[in-house]
Amino acid sequence: MKLRGIGVGSMMYGLGYGFARPDFSTTDIELAPDGTVTIWNGASELGQGLQTLLCQLVAEELGIPYEDTFIITADTGRTPDAGPVSASRSTYVQGNSALKACRDLKKPMAELAGELLKTDPDQLIFKKGLVQDQNEPSRSISFTNLAGGMHQRGRRVRGSGYHSITTGDVDKETSQGDAYATYAWASQLAEVEVDTETGQVTVLRLASATDAGKAINPKMVEGQIEGGAVQGLGFALMEDMKIEQGEFKNAKLSTYLIPTAADVPMVEPLIVEVYDPTGPYGAKGVAEPATIPTAPTIFNAIANALGQRVRFTPATPEKMLKLLGKLEEKEEQITIEDMPYPEP
Amino acid sequence: MTILNETLQEEELKIQTPSISRKDEYESVGKSVLRKDSVPKVTGKAIYTGDLHMPGMLFGKVLLSTQAHALIKSIDVSAAAAVPGVKAVLTSRDIPGENAFGIAIPDQQVLAETKVRYIGEPVAIVAAEDIFAAEQAISQIQVEYEPLPAVFSPFDALKPGAPAVHAKGNILYHTKVRKGNIERGFDEAAIIVENIYRTSGQDHAPIEPEAGFAWIDAEGVLNVFSGTQYAFRDRRQIAIALNLPMNRVRVANMTMGGGFGRKDDVTAEILVALLAWKTGRPVRLVYSRHEAMMSQTHRHPTYTRVRTGANKEGKLTAMEGVIYGDTGAYASLGLFVIKKMALHLGGPYYYPNYKSDSFSVYTNNPIFGAFRGFGVLQAAVSHEGQIDELAEKLGMDPIEFRLRNCLRPGLSFSTGQLMTNACGIATTLERLQDYLVENGLSIELHPEVSA
Amino acid sequence: MDENNLIKMELTVNGEAVSMIVKGGRRLLDFLRDDLHLTGTKEGCGEGECGSCTVHLDGQSVLACLTPMERAIGCSVLTIEGVGSPTNLHPVQAALLDEGGVQCGMCTPGMVMSALDLLERNPDPTIEEIIEGISGNLCRCTGYKKIIYGIQQAAQELQAASPAGTVKESVE
Repeated sequence: MKLRGIGVGSMMYGLGYGFARPDFSTTDIELAPDGTVTIWNGASELGQGLQTLLCQLVAEELGIPYEDTFIITADTGRTPDAGPVSASRSTYVQGNSALKACRDLKKPMAELAGELLKTDPDQLIFKKGLVQDQNEPSRSISFTNLAGGMHQRGRRVRGSGYHSITTGDVDKETSQGDAYATYAWASQLAEVEVDTETGQVTVLRLASATDAGKAINPKMVEGQIEGGAVQGLGFALMEDMKIEQGEFKNAKLSTYLIPTAADVPMVEPLIVEVYDPTGPYGAKGVAEPATIPTAPTIFNAIANALGQRVRFTPATPEKMLKLLGKLEEKEEQITIEDMPYPEP
Repeated sequence: MTILNETLQEEELKIQTPSISRKDEYESVGKSVLRKDSVPKVTGKAIYTGDLHMPGMLFGKVLLSTQAHALIKSIDVSAAAAVPGVKAVLTSRDIPGENAFGIAIPDQQVLAETKVRYIGEPVAIVAAEDIFAAEQAISQIQVEYEPLPAVFSPFDALKPGAPAVHAKGNILYHTKVRKGNIERGFDEAAIIVENIYRTSGQDHAPIEPEAGFAWIDAEGVLNVFSGTQYAFRDRRQIAIALNLPMNRVRVANMTMGGGFGRKDDVTAEILVALLAWKTGRPVRLVYSRHEAMMSQTHRHPTYTRVRTGANKEGKLTAMEGVIYGDTGAYASLGLFVIKKMALHLGGPYYYPNYKSDSFSVYTNNPIFGAFRGFGVLQAAVSHEGQIDELAEKLGMDPIEFRLRNCLRPGLSFSTGQLMTNACGIATTLERLQDYLVENGLSIELHPEVSA
Repeated sequence: MDENNLIKMELTVNGEAVSMIVKGGRRLLDFLRDDLHLTGTKEGCGEGECGSCTVHLDGQSVLACLTPMERAIGCSVLTIEGVGSPTNLHPVQAALLDEGGVQCGMCTPGMVMSALDLLERNPDPTIEEIIEGISGNLCRCTGYKKIIYGIQQAAQELQAASPAGTVKESVE
């Protein structure tokens, strides 16, 4: 018999490290005479799109074309330390440091523009390739011309931005306190079909509503959402790390199975944008939030289909048949007696 | 683009331009621009660590422990060193600095010294003129082990008299979260559900297995290229192991074939640095898929007991939980992963009363560390099971029940921290409600459940 | 060839004649990467599971990690380096970029080669046929959707450009 069900699952994720662990980033930026900029940041491009994201933020903040940005990342011989790439912190921490580097560079640029335009530097805005008096738009100079002017006059053409979200620590005995700089949010919905004869669970539909704060690059956010959900699906249903007497028995991709294109639905990304005033242009990370709710979402859909709950991973066909009482469970199960709640 | 050679002329500044303001649409933000790194990747031109090549380059290879817990009585490398083309066979005795590293605490050995603690722990390394000689040399290294009693689950590891994985005991870290009054919270509950949840290990399986490339430049700086999530921490740990000033070590990230948390730890970096330092030659060390899966970190297996209470109105009153996380043979980030799990065990909901304990426990299993989700993913299996079951038992729509209980600005997290306006959980749930309508779907309670 | 197991590799790679005396008994993957320095072909597992090392041998898709190098003698090999260039991308490559189907990029060359093979055999594939066509190529980043749509988009563009329904591999 094949039964269908729909389930939902949610999560929150404390972004960054918390607990007084160092959580900072530094970005350097240099203005060339032709108005192009070079960005140095010590964070790693893993494939998530960090280089692109930082370049977009810099282009926006300086009001220049994205194509005029170039970035060098993660090289102790060239870049400043930007902290690790983990804890979904890159957009939030490394992104903010890039904005601060731009603002540091804009100070001497605005000073020169103010001199040339005979206007108050504080009233100048950088947008659409121009540096312009926001009260008197006719007073403007192109970013490119200003860049040339900066070099010609020997002005400071390098900016640096440091951003830290290092928190205090929580109380050692109660963990009470401000644990994280901000939090990320996501909810997912799955529709599954369970074959009660074979134990096979097929995910027919997976929709992921993930709060990006502000999607700096929507396609990259979608990529995180789609890829994260598929990693979560693998964790939920397929990826069976068999450890016997300390040995990882199936440590090969022929025996440790990760999802192929044939194992997954077309994940539907639903980007939610709840502006975070502490993030760059309101943005925060999505990599982990997009991964976390998938397994329980699928399990709740299975419960909706069967009336029986999966409280273990992975729900492989064999383990599903055990759950359904069609295969004998031979493993000794941990019981409530094995896990007393510690004293208050 | 023009570069000015002369002072800007007055008239140039008077060119009429359209008015712009801060309220204008963003020009780069919010746009799906072409990724900076994508053209080299799609044409095969991007250089990953394993693609690096230098004249005179040697090939590195690692010998991994076959024992889960054992004393090393002896290591005989003479036959391996005699293999033609072999330039170095190194063991812990060849480490110039400290034989210790670790992302959170330095409890891990670069090369096992007197004891191995998991199957897959690096014991010796080889550099040779080609990979075949390196492989042959690895197979010629004779390690004499004396097996020790071992523990393979956190429960066994915590039994009185259990074999100690580390001298200081098997509990790496105990986190306690205490908010409100748990007894009063459960007294107020009309319904309580209690369950045990088990989550398994998971391999990150980045398509690029771990790799490192090291060489010494003309200034004598040790250069290490790899796919790493934190070049600066790697630099520090390489320098300590090799007894070098930190500013004489350079670590650079190559194009990287995924990490997902695993490459936050040192992977091949110290080993390949040692081989280059000892031989004076460029060395490339690329793990096979099997070696990577055996030796690197994975997602923590966890066991969670949790009970959750709600009142007749469908409001959560209390949650109590205890978590045992298997961190394997070394700490990696296991203290923080399992700590984060205790804080997030309740999920994105408001509990006036909350109590959780988590234990990160050493065993002789492979190392468990950071993996996308970082303990919160394991916590979600529990809290979403609990919440869904409560909604069912109360006969409530699962999204409505979540909306009734989710955190809102001004409500507090398990640590007492107040939520700000950037609290998006309700918006994500409402988005799913819209999605159901858009797709003509509804969540019907299962007949067996609603009966 | 002699006791050192040297062999003569005479073949065509990406349209160019290659003749080299090299150590034999290795995989086609090793010959391409170590001898020719064509490192666009990746190794993800070495046991034929991940598809990262997919290349074309006489127009057929093969896994270079399971193919003895000797098998390529006298053959024509196409690798990712022979498919489009940064300034002249093949439509499959351009569509993968356009859809956002590239993240870490480690699976990408193999994906492109599998997609070319699929479109050669089936110029107008359904979504299900695309999924089947790349089901031997593992990706851990994207969740596959943007890759699948990228291949679909490329197929449509190639169809439009070549009404007869034939897709030719562009070899530089």
